[in-house]
Amino acid sequence: MKNFTVFWGCTIQNRFPFLEKSTRMVLDGFDLPYRDVDGFTCCPEKSLVNNIDHGLWVLTAARNIAVLDKSGVDLVSPCTGCVSNLATVNGELHVNHREKDKVNSILNQIGLEFKGKNKLRHLVPFFHDEVGIPAVKNKIVKPFHGMRIALHYGCHMIRPSHALKNDDPLDPKKFDNLIRAMGAESIQYMTKLMCCGQGLDRVDQHENALHFARLKLKELKSLKVDAMALCCPSCYLQFDNNQFLMEKEGEKFGIPILYFTELLGLAMGYKPEDLGLDSHRIEATEFLEKWERMNRELSRTTELNKQLEEGFGIAQL
Amino acid sequence: MESLNCKLLEVCSRCGACYHICPSCLNLDEGYDPRAVIKDILAGQYETWLSHKSIWQCLECHHCLEICFQHYGFENAMAAMRTLASKKGLATTQVKRGWDMFIKTSRLGELAAPARKKLGLPEAAKSGAEDFKKMVKVYQESKQSECKSVRVKQGD
Repeated sequence: MKNFTVFWGCTIQNRFPFLEKSTRMVLDGFDLPYRDVDGFTCCPEKSLVNNIDHGLWVLTAARNIAVLDKSGVDLVSPCTGCVSNLATVNGELHVNHREKDKVNSILNQIGLEFKGKNKLRHLVPFFHDEVGIPAVKNKIVKPFHGMRIALHYGCHMIRPSHALKNDDPLDPKKFDNLIRAMGAESIQYMTKLMCCGQGLDRVDQHENALHFARLKLKELKSLKVDAMALCCPSCYLQFDNNQFLMEKEGEKFGIPILYFTELLGLAMGYKPEDLGLDSHRIEATEFLEKWERMNRELSRTTELNKQLEEGFGIAQL
Repeated sequence: MESLNCKLLEVCSRCGACYHICPSCLNLDEGYDPRAVIKDILAGQYETWLSHKSIWQCLECHHCLEICFQHYGFENAMAAMRTLASKKGLATTQVKRGWDMFIKTSRLGELAAPARKKLGLPEAAKSGAEDFKKMVKVYQESKQSECKSVRVKQGD
């Protein structure tokens, strides 16, 4: 496997450093060849920067990719927005040579050049395609058998598909496959692919952002899921923080929001507190208790089945 | 923002297939109608939309782009309106705040240093803030010289 760096993005390092912790623990647990690279900035955030200055949006993303070119490693990110922005600009500059030349005429003046030679991938498809389902299964010591988990892909893990090319943009499978590899049931639901709506919080429309969070959480509550799993800090903010705000106002959902790396880390045997689960605003206590119970039941049934296979009952007659 | 394509927008104004997948069209009770914006853009009467909250309700989820048989989607029209609104100082408060932070620091938020230490995380990689500032300066100069050359060509 080629060496890679992790592009953390602003939101994880600013608001949710425990997500960096669980990501590093999981990458170390798989002994994957990653290293930190100096010189990155904001990816930059499309809905903010592109709306105001498209040229600077392209240039800033191109500079980050040029830093990557200089380091000679691939890029993996646990943030869907970062990968989507970088991949979109990467694709745009690969087909638009005039724009690429214009970008490079500026980057050359600060000692960089955009080539776009290295792979840009989100952590979930990276684990699916590069690490692989068999390797993931091999690392599972405490599976999620009997646990009902609802996935939220997050729009920018899969769209725009012409830039990302990592899954079906309207019927994705890879995250589901990984959750199943951990032993959980991936619950199918109506609003599964609907946008989280967090963007509305960033344009002074908080009530509308809550409305979007409520739509999905209501459905998941009616389906009695044990948790929602995702891998995007913006979606995490929407469902953990905004759910907490709604609960403070008396609207109870009780759906713990777990990051892909936290779930994988738990299944690999790491302790919840070491993975940073105690930093969540929506507690995962009930989820963890049920998981312990399911694992105890599983080991008892495994023991019983072993005895049945050995013909223990007949020997006593 | 890139230039808008009027031919594609004209088809958008009559199609609306993406209304069945767009999360804002489906779920915002107050009504969100991108085709109304597009029709006004084509008629050259978009001015009122620049101060309307609708143009900030496109979530840029790219569902419209994926389902669009032109591979265009009305997100382009909404982004164009937001760019024009921002130029006229009509961007929302949080957008303005975020932009200021981005230009000053190259990031959207500072590192959570005490939390990093508590979690036992390694020192974060150095940011590219200094290089970014230099790049923005060169970019702004190149934009100014482009504007000058356009004015010279126009005999201004």
